[in-house]
Amino acid sequence: MTARMSVPLARRQLLFRKGRTLAGIAGISAALLLVLALNAIFAGINDRLTAYIDGSGADVIVAQRGVDTMHMTQSALPEQTATAVVAVPGVAGAKPILYVPAMIERGEKRGIVYLIGDDSGGAPLPLSAGRRPDAGEIVLERSLAERLGATPGSSVRVFGQSFRVSGEVEGLASILNSVAFVRRQELARVLGIGGVVSYVLVRARPEVRAAELAARIETSVPGVTASTREAFARSERRVVGDMTTDIVRAMILVGFVIGVAVAGLVAYSATLSQLRDYAVLRALGLRARRAHALATAQVGATVVAGFLLALAFVWVLAAILPSLSPTLVLAIRTGDVAQALSVAAAVTLAAAAFPVLRVARIDPASVFRR
Amino acid sequence: VTVPVARRQLFAEPAKLIVTLVAVAAAVALVLLLAGLRRGMGEQVTLYVDHQAPVLVGQQGARNFLSQTSVLPDALIRDIERVPGVAEATPINQEYAMLRLHERPVLALLIGYDPGKPGGPWKLASGRAPSGSAELVLDRVLASEHSLEIGSTLEYRGARLRIVGLSSGTSGFMTPLAFASRTTVSALSRRPGTANFIFVRSDRGVTPAALATRIDRAVPGISALTRREVAANDRRQFVDPFSGPLFAMVALAFAVAVLVIGLAVYSSTAERSREYATLKALGLGGRALYRLVGIQAAGLALTGTGLGFLLALAAARGVSVFAPKYLIAISAGSVAAVAASALAMAVVAALLPSHFLARLDPASAFRR
Repeated sequence: MTARMSVPLARRQLLFRKGRTLAGIAGISAALLLVLALNAIFAGINDRLTAYIDGSGADVIVAQRGVDTMHMTQSALPEQTATAVVAVPGVAGAKPILYVPAMIERGEKRGIVYLIGDDSGGAPLPLSAGRRPDAGEIVLERSLAERLGATPGSSVRVFGQSFRVSGEVEGLASILNSVAFVRRQELARVLGIGGVVSYVLVRARPEVRAAELAARIETSVPGVTASTREAFARSERRVVGDMTTDIVRAMILVGFVIGVAVAGLVAYSATLSQLRDYAVLRALGLRARRAHALATAQVGATVVAGFLLALAFVWVLAAILPSLSPTLVLAIRTGDVAQALSVAAAVTLAAAAFPVLRVARIDPASVFRR
Repeated sequence: VTVPVARRQLFAEPAKLIVTLVAVAAAVALVLLLAGLRRGMGEQVTLYVDHQAPVLVGQQGARNFLSQTSVLPDALIRDIERVPGVAEATPINQEYAMLRLHERPVLALLIGYDPGKPGGPWKLASGRAPSGSAELVLDRVLASEHSLEIGSTLEYRGARLRIVGLSSGTSGFMTPLAFASRTTVSALSRRPGTANFIFVRSDRGVTPAALATRIDRAVPGISALTRREVAANDRRQFVDPFSGPLFAMVALAFAVAVLVIGLAVYSSTAERSREYATLKALGLGGRALYRLVGIQAAGLALTGTGLGFLLALAAARGVSVFAPKYLIAISAGSVAAVAASALAMAVVAALLPSHFLARLDPASAFRR
């Protein structure tokens, strides 16, 4: 009977100089944090971008032909479109809205909003305070209301007109913009654009599928594009996604380079200080391939620890940032985590090359010299 | 006889030195590129306004040119022209145009102007300015990204627009420009007889600020601002939301650079403990030892920063060639800030091994 003994070499070597290992983990986590945080910020913007559509209660959104987004988009339909849509079989209700970017001012404080002219005052989105707007009144998103110091009952100015704040909604603002609601006819009057609406929000009868209804509306009403809520939201997300793809890619590249450099530096330094250990192990019969695996395992363990630290940090940021800045929302997606993990794997492979090349040059006989 | 100990220690492991410098350079380049991107975004956002007359008139309450609705009846043009000091009033229609190119939404800023008057493209790369309805001049970079050329047509809001010219110097990350006649744009918006803004050129000797005040007082229902005010408001509106995340990235990059330098200096100090102990035993004082470490840290920080600066310049040049819609404007200010940061990096990084050196026993040089 033979007793097998094993020595956890990789772990012991890593823990030999704890400070260096911790510094390496911190550096790698910072590099991966660049990738994770940026993706989370853009995902958060995307979620808020479609918050209004998601909560609008519409099954189908009708816009001017060729239009299937709201953000930074113009759509103009004749007011009669809503009447024509209601007549389409399967429509339970159709609500016309005006949707324009506007500046809201209170004293010297200002904020850009998408001002929505909606006679229901934003229903069915729940109000977090106050009530729906009447004539001369406005509902603000809470974060903007707080920034402007505009509590319900106070006044703000839009297009040079004074509006009394009647209530607040919540969860619709991103770092890019906010949302506010006024009565549609009033907004049309202020802008001097009677007879035109931007979109018609359509509710389908329970027995009708949204996609089927959208197709029916496009066939029956000329000059419009009808999209299901899901397709519309997807299109909205694509706008920001396309705009930010290059930046995210660049950040991934930078994160990769920094990650490789930090992990490579740590691994290389560790290998240099342990050259004698490696020589002893080689003299004791450790094959070159196992020695390389040992060096790679150390890099891999450091990178995995760095990755987990970065993930934990983003998680904490996502939890605490909204309470510090309500519009800065971080959303952690599985796909983005997988992407960061693949960057981490690439970092491991590239960084492991430094110690592996050094270990490959070790002469086992060197341990008997000096 | 002097021995350049710091230099010899740095160059003892060339591979490690290179990796350290690459890491510092990458972090520094990241700082410069992010700062340059932010500045470039600001410059691109005001691209159109910067090329127009010095006073802008919008609907009452208007503060921005972008991201804000303004509707003015055409009749106001005459009222503005009658204000003393006004040389010319040019109406324009403006809107974000979510074009659909290759089945993807692509954002452009569509400008409607009266052919033959100011407000159109200031430089045509090819083709001609729009003269009739449904004609379009498109930014050259945007057109080439989507293989569009003169004669191509694209659908927008149910209309077919034909490209008759390509403009240059009108590219932007978020707002590449497109130009059509005012008739075309106001028909798309179903707002005939209206303009969104009116640009006003002043008579000689009248300052933009004075003219804006004069127009504001003389014409009811409008807001008149100088081009500079509008540009500043637009920049604030577009760039400020990105400042927080960008600052966080810059801070992170800075932390990485400090960490890398610190790590390199610390590990090399720890590995050479025997050499340092020998130097201590030979009588080298603590201050001299710190200086030795400090010189190494400063050398790494400054060389890495220099390389990072060159890397950032090369990357910015590469971006301008291969992705011209992005503008990376590296300013002297940010280079100076990074250079100052490099020294801060060196100081922080040199502090890391100081504790180790302070504890080092000179007698250890004689042990094994």
